Amino acid sequence: MRATRDWFGDALAAVGTSHDKVVVVNCDLASATKTSVFKERFPDRFLEVGIAEANGIGVAAGLAQEGFRPFVASFGHFLTGKFLEIFQSVGLNDAGVVLVGTHAGLAIGKDGPTQMGLRDLALMRTLPNLEILQPADGVETRQMLAYLVGHDRPSYLRLCRQPQREVHDEHYRFRFGQPDVVRDGADVVVFTMGGMVAVVLDAAEALAGRGVRATVVNASSLPLDTAAAGDLVARHEHVFVVEDHFVKGGLIDEVGRIVLHRGRPVRFGSWGVGDYGQAGSPADLYRRYDLDAEGVASRIAAFLHLSTPDTVKGSQP
Amino acid sequence: MNVMAGFADTIPGERDHARMDDESDLPYRLARIGRLATDVRAVVLEMIHRAGSGHVGSSLSCVDLVSVLKFDQMGPAGGGDVFVLSKGHAAPTWYAALMVSGELDRGEIGTLRRIDSRLQGHPDRSRLDLVDVSTGALGQGLSVALGRAQAKRLRGDRSTAYCLSGDGELQEGQMWEAVMYAGASGLSNVVLLVDHNRSQNDGTLDEVLPLHPLAERFRAFHWHVQDVNGHSHLAVRDAVINARAHRLQPSVIIAHTRKGYLGPGEVLLNGAHSGTLTTEVYRDALAYLGRVSS
Repeated sequence: MRATRDWFGDALAAVGTSHDKVVVVNCDLASATKTSVFKERFPDRFLEVGIAEANGIGVAAGLAQEGFRPFVASFGHFLTGKFLEIFQSVGLNDAGVVLVGTHAGLAIGKDGPTQMGLRDLALMRTLPNLEILQPADGVETRQMLAYLVGHDRPSYLRLCRQPQREVHDEHYRFRFGQPDVVRDGADVVVFTMGGMVAVVLDAAEALAGRGVRATVVNASSLPLDTAAAGDLVARHEHVFVVEDHFVKGGLIDEVGRIVLHRGRPVRFGSWGVGDYGQAGSPADLYRRYDLDAEGVASRIAAFLHLSTPDTVKGSQP
Repeated sequence: MNVMAGFADTIPGERDHARMDDESDLPYRLARIGRLATDVRAVVLEMIHRAGSGHVGSSLSCVDLVSVLKFDQMGPAGGGDVFVLSKGHAAPTWYAALMVSGELDRGEIGTLRRIDSRLQGHPDRSRLDLVDVSTGALGQGLSVALGRAQAKRLRGDRSTAYCLSGDGELQEGQMWEAVMYAGASGLSNVVLLVDHNRSQNDGTLDEVLPLHPLAERFRAFHWHVQDVNGHSHLAVRDAVINARAHRLQPSVIIAHTRKGYLGPGEVLLNGAHSGTLTTEVYRDALAYLGRVSS
């Protein structure tokens, strides 16, 4: 088991060998974002701007305009915090920067909410020309890196700190925007992404013991293909979204929009982080926010009226 | 009204005049820059007058800086040199320079700030590719210029990234992130021109937040600093040439200017940041420039 940031570090160095336009803009977090592997192999293409993300984003935009494919990496919370710079220097310039935001979700743990990437998707989703990608495992990380160096559009790559098991085999082929069905069911379709995919798969397994056949969808790139996601919705009467992100602005809203646009009534439920988050061990946090397998299973069961959760852990819209 | 009627049909080539081989072409160059800068001022005024809004003072203060770069010092468009208008509210100056150089259709002069126009209120590269970098929210342009300079250095390309910022803009924190980075990296292929007109939205720079001592601040960050009269084409031209020749550090040209500057002793709207350009003021300004509005 490895974290997607670890897989990213290796995959970035690998594509750096075959693509000489790949450069890294680092904001003093090479060891945490794993761009250190690239730095060791390609020191001339590794630019250190220090703890200055706004400038780093602008420098990356300039490099992209000159034909390079810059990866600017930091914690997702810090990087997307420079939203005005991303909007203008990257977005409005249509500059082919890959913004790499690591430490998505609650997993940074004891450092607390000032470091947690819990509202990055909400910000990045607003930009009309930016693609969002979040791999679920090593296979998908490598596939995404190959995809990212194959074009020059602005992109946000969301990565996790926590180790995850592989949910794909080597035959998996990532296709942008396409919902990736990692478990086929019939009673409820559960959309999720990134570090939550394996967790939701475990929850689905637990629910299977209670007679629930859940479809699990790895929505690993946004915007989601509306038709493909809509077809999955059409095959189910119950739609549920789980994400390691604030309940507003992220995957829940992405899927909710698709559901509403279809105009056919389905039952829709969701679960994510409803407050600012807090410090604690990652295991304690995921348990506290019902974002571990047990918690997710209980939330889906409650949605399906199979049970009520043992404790009410904060209300959500 | 058509201020363009006063233009020469084409800009004379740089050597398109009779001279001895050993004669300096500097007087000719200065005369040419001067004439084209006046054309730019006239177009800026017509554009903003027809749009009914726009930052006329901030656009006029940097006309001479843009003119020296565009008409004398920068290579042709697409030739490698890059111009980043970090003070994006001076967009009319850049559009006007493009019209005077013949790269932008003069027929678009009345489209500034209009719906579906390529001439957005602030430069938008997604609508006009003669804009090198989209700008508008202040403080961001220098960083992008540094990225372009870095790219040139990585490629071994000798062209230059020019950036024009406001002085009030230097109150933005990101400017100093960029200044720090450029100085530490020794990025000598970037030239920053600061349009030091000492005035910003809410008052004078000194009233809002003083930057004194500006030159010393840049020097402390390992920049090569020149202080010049930003309305002297000769001084600005020399400074740009010096800046490019200095291969050890990034260069800043602190260009002392006046907001609304039309010419010696003539300042529009009392140097206001953004004031309404009434028809009367507009006509007087054109008359001063030797242009006639019909």
